[in-house]
Amino acid sequence: MKEELVCSEVIINNSLGLHARPAAILAKEASKYKSDIKIIMDKTEVDAKSILDILTLAAPKGKSIKLIAKGEDAKEAIKNIKSLIEEGFGEL
Amino acid sequence: MAKKILQGIPVSVGVAIGHAYILTRDHFCLAPIQNISEELVEQEIKRLEDAFELTISNLKELKAKIPEEQTEYSSIIDTQIMMLQDPKLKHAITKYIKDMKLNAEWAVEKGIGDIEKTFNGIEDEFFKTRISEFKLLSRKVIGNLIGAGEELKPIKSRVILVAHELTPADTVELDVSKIMAFVTAQGGKTSHVSIVARTLGIPAIVGIEDVENQILDDEFIIVDGFTGRILIEPEEEEIYEYTERQISFEQYKRELFQQSGLPGKTKDGFHVKVMANIELFEEVSSALDYAAEGIGLYRTEYSYLYRSRLPGEDELYEEYRDLVSIMSPKPVVIRTLDAGGDKIGKGFEKLEEANPAMGLRAIRFCLKFKKIFKTQLKAILRAAEAGNALLMFPMISGLEELRDAKRVLEEAKNELEKEGKSYKRDIPVGIMIELPSAVLVAEDLAKEVDFFSIGTNDLIQYSLGIDRTNKYVSHLFQPLHPAIIKSIKHTVDVAKRAGIYVSMCGEMAGDPFCIPLLIGMGVDILSTTPHSVPGVKRVIRMLSKKECEDLLNKILQNSSVKENNRIVKEKVFDKIPEELTFYTSFFDN
Repeated sequence: MKEELVCSEVIINNSLGLHARPAAILAKEASKYKSDIKIIMDKTEVDAKSILDILTLAAPKGKSIKLIAKGEDAKEAIKNIKSLIEEGFGEL
Repeated sequence: MAKKILQGIPVSVGVAIGHAYILTRDHFCLAPIQNISEELVEQEIKRLEDAFELTISNLKELKAKIPEEQTEYSSIIDTQIMMLQDPKLKHAITKYIKDMKLNAEWAVEKGIGDIEKTFNGIEDEFFKTRISEFKLLSRKVIGNLIGAGEELKPIKSRVILVAHELTPADTVELDVSKIMAFVTAQGGKTSHVSIVARTLGIPAIVGIEDVENQILDDEFIIVDGFTGRILIEPEEEEIYEYTERQISFEQYKRELFQQSGLPGKTKDGFHVKVMANIELFEEVSSALDYAAEGIGLYRTEYSYLYRSRLPGEDELYEEYRDLVSIMSPKPVVIRTLDAGGDKIGKGFEKLEEANPAMGLRAIRFCLKFKKIFKTQLKAILRAAEAGNALLMFPMISGLEELRDAKRVLEEAKNELEKEGKSYKRDIPVGIMIELPSAVLVAEDLAKEVDFFSIGTNDLIQYSLGIDRTNKYVSHLFQPLHPAIIKSIKHTVDVAKRAGIYVSMCGEMAGDPFCIPLLIGMGVDILSTTPHSVPGVKRVIRMLSKKECEDLLNKILQNSSVKENNRIVKEKVFDKIPEELTFYTSFFDN
């Protein structure tokens, strides 16, 4: 398997932003992949597998964040995490 | 004599005899703080990991107990489990064990302290407050480190619950069917614990300082919900005396219940309708059992509490529709959301108000967050098709506010029209009269509504400037204050002149000392807790409108609260002596 670097931008869609529940869902999803996954917002970079890290971003609705994954399953990871965020974590 | 007698404020009548159960939920355990030697580091980290594992399995057990339909609650637990599994959290703590040689308990506090600093740097208030969840978890972990679990101990047999304070969240978690009576240090006649006790029909006493330490766990006690006395380790004769009292009260209640179908008509034929105030959908069955002539007040706040998201239109519609159709053709007055951000949560708690009672709550909150308001209005409009529903706005202070609310109602109707959903166009609209300003402009308000409902709890609180849950001033919460009597009288007179009906849904409506005055004024509807409906009807049947008017006139000429209390106590006692043995009232016993 070759290592890939995949990058994508997405806008937070659910009404309260990345609060505890969405952060938990996101971290859980990210933890499924072998790849190293980061979230970048306003020059702050955090680990997508850590709910604590995600919460400290305090990402509100409408904010654009960047997802970066590095590893063999990077493509799949970004695709699935992106759609989770776009679907508003089932809160819409 | 009993070993010890405590005196509190009786808030729900009845007698309970049994063992105390002390609810010690929030008692803080002091974590031992100490340094460890290098060779113990591994062992200490292992201890921490075990405590984390144990906390996670505690949470999983708790989650398994939650009924499936409460998915919101179980998702909160899932989130907590995720937090505990987060390597970053564990790392923040273990580094203190490794680098600073702190014991696990201390390291947890230091680690959480660091995380708190990071969160304090966040500008968004909503995210900032998330730190409380980490603190809560850290308490659970420390509890497991010390070996003192945080769980409520299970209630095995029927007990008398003793607590510092009882919150709505506690009552959700407790098995209320096993509770014979409530005793708390905090609270007043209209606080949550009192309302729950009266709804369940069990005695309750509040306002005994430090009660959770004055009574021992499992101690044998008698709770006298008539006088507010608690007898600790009573003598045999006392047990006998109270058992007698308990039996005669039960008999009185049975008798009342048998007569509950009789209407509340005075001796000279004036009919006062007696309805029920409810806050949970499930209470509709007791409203029917006690033969309430309708739901005079449906508090809609519960659907908004303890949820991770706001309820949707369809969800609310189904709830309201079921209630309206079960009660049909009897009326159901649905009051729109009467809470502020502090109660609703979901991000609104960030509003941080110093004084929520005078803040962004009720109609003001709804007018600011119009989408939430409109969703509820649409649900009510649609549900009104199922029977006889009326709509009521809380906390209206003047004409503009009423018009603004009605404008949103029109918008809601238009939206339903566009969506092709069927709804009741001409739903009657009323308002709560609970602010002194509304009393003063009642004439203007009466022209634009179909009914008034007087909320005496808030009217007294706002008129007299008394926080009724504050024990230092709660004795100044005086329903017979001349200003209160005049305010109510004025409101009723205005309604009569305008040809609209007027009801009363505050505590006064169920108080035997106040009922004669309300009849004297000509209030059309008294709405009270379901279980007091039969008693209120019976009090009405024992009075005549004429004598009530005479009493009212006497009171209106007075300018002293003390004098009013004395006259009412005397006169009412003359009329209905045996009724009063089994009632608590605003009056001191």
